[in-house]
Amino acid sequence: MNQKENNFEELKRLLKLKQHEVPPPGYFNHFSDHVVSRIRAGEAGGSRSMMEQLESSAPWVVNFLRIFETRPGVVGAFATSLCLLLVLVVVFAERADRASKTLLTISEPAAAGSAVASMTSPSLVAASESSGIVASTNPVTSLQPVATLFGQPASGSIFQQASFAPVSH
Amino acid sequence: MTMSETEPIADSSTPTGMLEGDLVKHARRGDLAAYDELVKRYQERIYATIYHMTSNHEDANDLAQDSFIKAFQALKSFRGGSSFYTWIYRIAVNKTINFLKQRKNKHHFSLNDLDFNTEHNPDLVALISHKTPFREAGLTELQKKLNEALMKLSEPHRMVVVLHDVQGQSHEEIAEIMDCNIGTVRSRLFYARQQLQGDLAEYAKPA
Repeated sequence: MNQKENNFEELKRLLKLKQHEVPPPGYFNHFSDHVVSRIRAGEAGGSRSMMEQLESSAPWVVNFLRIFETRPGVVGAFATSLCLLLVLVVVFAERADRASKTLLTISEPAAAGSAVASMTSPSLVAASESSGIVASTNPVTSLQPVATLFGQPASGSIFQQASFAPVSH
Repeated sequence: MTMSETEPIADSSTPTGMLEGDLVKHARRGDLAAYDELVKRYQERIYATIYHMTSNHEDANDLAQDSFIKAFQALKSFRGGSSFYTWIYRIAVNKTINFLKQRKNKHHFSLNDLDFNTEHNPDLVALISHKTPFREAGLTELQKKLNEALMKLSEPHRMVVVLHDVQGQSHEEIAEIMDCNIGTVRSRLFYARQQLQGDLAEYAKPA
């Protein structure tokens, strides 16, 4: 290690020259005054710039944005990845939509079939009529609207309200 | 000569006589007189660090002022985990490195003049008059070559050389300022010196 240090003795002596580079005479007499007056001006001016506010509250955001300034390649890569992400979201959304439509087409005939089955039992209808109440012959399941992806009842789905009314003979 | 004649007693009620910690407390409450004193204490070292990094007086002036202003605005976030001195250094170092990255390789020298003592520094006089093949080369020429060689280093390598070999900071202090470990500081210093020695071979030959 000492040998390594000795190798740089000349260089270190040379670097001492930098210590002799000094600013113009009297430069530091007013340096702090300039700083304080700029702080005062900033306070009097009220709001700081958005970048300055962001820098003090979330410096990582500013550092992230600075990468864009210094490396244009990163901007391209970031934009490309954003586009890819957007495309992926669109593709997955379409797939989910198709899947829900398939489910819908499977459930519709089943519901219609059960409704027909319940209609073909006249003894039940007659029994209810004799008790003075007209009841819907559709099963309870058919009363529920078929939900879609967007929470709205699908058009064309079997949707019937139950009604109970006394019959006057 | 009495003691009072040689050393004025520090008045702890005025900013000049206050300890760094007290000045920071006052400055956090918006006391600009206290902050003015803090600026006065560190202005020369902060300016010098930035100047040696940029080799440009105007840039160093702007960046040093900006660093102190930013530090004042961020004083509320200063937790006191390190000294104010290290903290302000870190702000200045980060600001300078960001500035240099934005400016990339467009270096524009605006070098300060060498002070009167340079010509009387025996090491430097020996360096240009006896040990180099360019005896006619003056100190100004040497200054220019030295700055050019420094500018060829990457920002982190240059920063380590400036802080250690020019400003005399210890490895530990540099590690704290640059937020890296001491091993990194040592290896950067070694690599930077090697590169400088290669670039300044005509002036600085290995022993």
